Amino acid sequence: MEATIEVTGLRKRFGQTQALHGMTFTVLPGRVTGFVGPNGAGKSTTMRVVLGLDAADEGRALVGGRPYQSLRSPLSHVGALLDAAALQPSRTARNHLLWLAHSQGLGARRVDEVIEQVGLTPAARRKAGGYSLGMRQRLGIAAALLGDPPVLMLDEPFNGLDPEGIVWIRGFLRSLAAEGRAVLVSSHLMSELQDTAGHLVAVGRGRVVADTSVADLITTASRDRVTLRTTARAEAMSVLAGADATVTVTERDTLVVSGLAAEHIVRLLGAQGVPFSEVAAHRATLEEAYLDLTRDAVEFRGAAR
Amino acid sequence: MRREVHAEWTKLRTVAGPGWLLGALVALTVAAGAVAAAVVPCAAAGCGQDAARISLVGVQLGQAMVALLAVLAICGEYSTGMIRTSLTAMPRRATALAAKAVVVGGLTLAAGTVAVLGSVLAGRLLLPGSGFTPAHGYPPLSLADGPVLRAAVGSVLYLVLISLLSLGLATAVRDSAAAAGVVLGLLYVFPLAVLMVSDEEVRQVLWTISPTNAGLAVQATKDLADLPIGPWAGLGVLAAWAAAALAGSGLLLRLRDA
Amino acid sequence: MTAVTPYRSGARTGRDGFAQLLRAEWIKLRTVRGWMLGLALAALLIVGLGVLFATGSRSSCMNGPIEVPCPAPLIGPGGVAVEDRFYFVHQPLDGDGSITVRVSSMTGQLRKPDVTPGVRNVVSGVTPWAKAGVMIKQSVRQGTSYAALMVTGSHGVHMQYDFTEDVAGRPGGVSAASPRWLRLTRTGNTITGEESSDGSHWTTVGTVRPAGLAGKVQIGLFAASPGDLTVSPNVMFGAATASRFAEVTAVMDQVGVRGVAAGGAWSRDDIGVTMEPDGVTPHHPGGLTRSGGTFRVTGVGDIAPSAEGMPVERVLAGVLAGLVAMMVVAVMFVTAEYRRGLIRTTLLASPRRGRVLAAKAVVIAAATFAAGLAAVATTVPVGRSILAANGNMLAPVATLTSLRVIVGTAALLAVAAVFALAVGALFRRSAMAVIAVIVAILVPYVLATASILPDEVSRWLLRLTPAAGFAIQQSMPTYAHMTARHAPAEGYFPLPPWVGLAVLCAYAALALALAAYRLRRSDV
Repeated sequence: MEATIEVTGLRKRFGQTQALHGMTFTVLPGRVTGFVGPNGAGKSTTMRVVLGLDAADEGRALVGGRPYQSLRSPLSHVGALLDAAALQPSRTARNHLLWLAHSQGLGARRVDEVIEQVGLTPAARRKAGGYSLGMRQRLGIAAALLGDPPVLMLDEPFNGLDPEGIVWIRGFLRSLAAEGRAVLVSSHLMSELQDTAGHLVAVGRGRVVADTSVADLITTASRDRVTLRTTARAEAMSVLAGADATVTVTERDTLVVSGLAAEHIVRLLGAQGVPFSEVAAHRATLEEAYLDLTRDAVEFRGAAR
Repeated sequence: MRREVHAEWTKLRTVAGPGWLLGALVALTVAAGAVAAAVVPCAAAGCGQDAARISLVGVQLGQAMVALLAVLAICGEYSTGMIRTSLTAMPRRATALAAKAVVVGGLTLAAGTVAVLGSVLAGRLLLPGSGFTPAHGYPPLSLADGPVLRAAVGSVLYLVLISLLSLGLATAVRDSAAAAGVVLGLLYVFPLAVLMVSDEEVRQVLWTISPTNAGLAVQATKDLADLPIGPWAGLGVLAAWAAAALAGSGLLLRLRDA
Repeated sequence: MTAVTPYRSGARTGRDGFAQLLRAEWIKLRTVRGWMLGLALAALLIVGLGVLFATGSRSSCMNGPIEVPCPAPLIGPGGVAVEDRFYFVHQPLDGDGSITVRVSSMTGQLRKPDVTPGVRNVVSGVTPWAKAGVMIKQSVRQGTSYAALMVTGSHGVHMQYDFTEDVAGRPGGVSAASPRWLRLTRTGNTITGEESSDGSHWTTVGTVRPAGLAGKVQIGLFAASPGDLTVSPNVMFGAATASRFAEVTAVMDQVGVRGVAAGGAWSRDDIGVTMEPDGVTPHHPGGLTRSGGTFRVTGVGDIAPSAEGMPVERVLAGVLAGLVAMMVVAVMFVTAEYRRGLIRTTLLASPRRGRVLAAKAVVIAAATFAAGLAAVATTVPVGRSILAANGNMLAPVATLTSLRVIVGTAALLAVAAVFALAVGALFRRSAMAVIAVIVAILVPYVLATASILPDEVSRWLLRLTPAAGFAIQQSMPTYAHMTARHAPAEGYFPLPPWVGLAVLCAYAALALALAAYRLRRSDV
């Protein structure tokens, strides 16, 4: 199968730290795959192994069915953005892309096209050292697009972008996927991937903890919970318990009901004449779903003070 | 390989540093050679001086610029992290290093030729004023003279080989400050250490394997019999150093994570 | 609206003095493993290369066909190594007395490089410090105290005593037409030297009191000629020094001695003459031909301080390599701040920028001084005992001089590190800074000591560039009346030790000032 990233059983140790612990997943074309996990979960290391920058102790990583280092004109197979700051500051953005293009046998015309595509044309002849973080991200994305590759791999592309930039990149990634490319986007902030990723590979401690579609994940996590605000707590509880729902008291006038849909609850309470001020169906955010998922896999957690 | 060379060439020509360094190479080499040609006296016939060597003495200063060019060409990528972009675009690492060597060596060849020609010209103009006259047994310095031509061509090749040696060492060391220290230590401290050895035999052996001493033997146009190693063989010693450094660092580049 | 009580930290405010800044910078230096390894490597290079050099240096001396331990160098009354070889025609003198002679001719012969291999090429001539005249000496033993008044080959009349001391008289040579009268007078322990061109009008050259000239002494005529020193271009190391046989013959008459026993006979001694391998035939003997009152005295050798033996700094061959390693660490110590923007954190914590630079300089100086001192203080005694065990002749060195070389070398390393740090702060780019400091310190040193540049140019390089600092390592004193090539290539610096180090300090201070200016004035 073309246009995929296949990662199988990757293991990698840096001194005392086991960075990758049997990482296995596949990225399919035509959708944006979110690659999420807490800091230090192994996202960047995996990407570096896929790109042949780091050698895995075990396992293999293929791009379009082949190891990266065997690719000719590799940038026309995979485009990658690893570290947007990784460029020589005294070189202009256009010249940075130019040497990259030359390394793939591409010309200056392609360079100007990608600059146009990411909206850097006005700043292209300025030194990249003077770029803001957001402009560097755009430059990095331009570099990834240079070879017009069927596979894109972006490490934390939202870092440092302003809201407008985030909106732009979300749309941009979706359109790239819509063209049939495989797009892998890593992030440690789930909210950034909301509305962008169709599929998720969640990792923790060097291995995959969930490989699922975003829709499934949200449904599972928000399994019909309803928040009910009422002054007649006792009556409401007895009515709902009679209807086989599980009721939990969270505050003096607030109940959380599960096992019943919101419309059903409204109907029941209305029929029994129990007063209530608010009924809210709870829809989990991707963030919550992800926190549920990775609760055990977080390596570093701030101490509450 | 062609694409890699093209990319490396674009890299070097799109930052200001290399241009300045190559300019400094020419300026320092010619200036030091001109000063030496103006101040080293030849009072009488049989003063025993080597005129070609005097005017080419600036190479010893110019090589520092060549080393800096090579160190910056590779360590600049490591310090910014751009090396990862480079190796992503050019995953055949040995080829990428070879391409860099071709470009750095080629630039050194071009600038070194200018520097050496300038030094020879300065020598030709200034040496007679210091007593290097036909009356003292010194015809004007000329590239038509076999040994002088060999010294000049050899000096250019010497600079090229120094650039390759530096590139190899710098690729292995990766950090620019440490690499600069290692390269210049080898180029300048080694010959000084040789000077301090008192045992004549050990001294000759060390002299023969020192990249600078042996390499610069190619500049000698007089008393060749007194040299512990012939001019071309001496350059060969330096070439062996450069080849070993490049091969070793190529291997390290392949083995290590970027 | 309720009044908000502004937050106040319960933590005690820490002190914010220079000491705290030093401590912070020391922690920064200490906690980067590579830097500590770099300093350790530097110390290891100094000790290791020094020991390697000492182990590899062996020498042995032959006495005839037998290998014997090399003799210790001859030590003069002042404790320095001396050469004491001359022809002496003398009488004992007990109490006050004087000797007067007229020198009317000085001729000699020199050996030049062979033109035809195997055939000695000897020409007539006199070396500049060939000397003949009158002398009062403690005894005929080599190395004892003396005072002498002499005519020299080309430096005119000189009065010298105890090897190191030298007083110049009138310039000019001697000939039959214009002879020179010399007189040495002993009054108590005082020796007075006088010269005259006609034997009646006398000028005092000097009045001296050599420590060892009490009681019975020898008084008489002498002649000596140091070797003919030639410096020729050398294809391997720029230049080579050679000293070839030379002898001088002086004609002296009108000899008048007072205070000696009446009718006392003249004794002759070829002091310090070496023997041929057979052990009995003198090699290049001196001599006396006497016809009536005319003495023709021929002498070979010299009465002067000697540069023989390995000076103490020779075991410090590793210092250059150590220096490079320390300068690299010093450069990194400051450029690392710029690479990832750590400097902004540093300057947030201590906004007085000049003080930050000063703290860094103090910390790197202290660290390199300590590492250097430990390494050098180990290398010198260990290296010298290995050298001695391998049969090498060691130049004698005064304890204070030895201490100055050790502490001074550590100081040299520290000042060079501060210079490197300052250049690093100035350039903010590590490779450029490392190359700049090495080109500033090492390249002049290489060109001055190991290239075809003439000695005078080399001396200027070591006066004007930061390489002047290496003068601190020179342990051998130089004397104007010594026949030797006092050139950088031979380990002699044009500036006195501390002045040389001061030149390097000036460069370091200048670089620091420029760096402080840049740090204060420009954005980080």
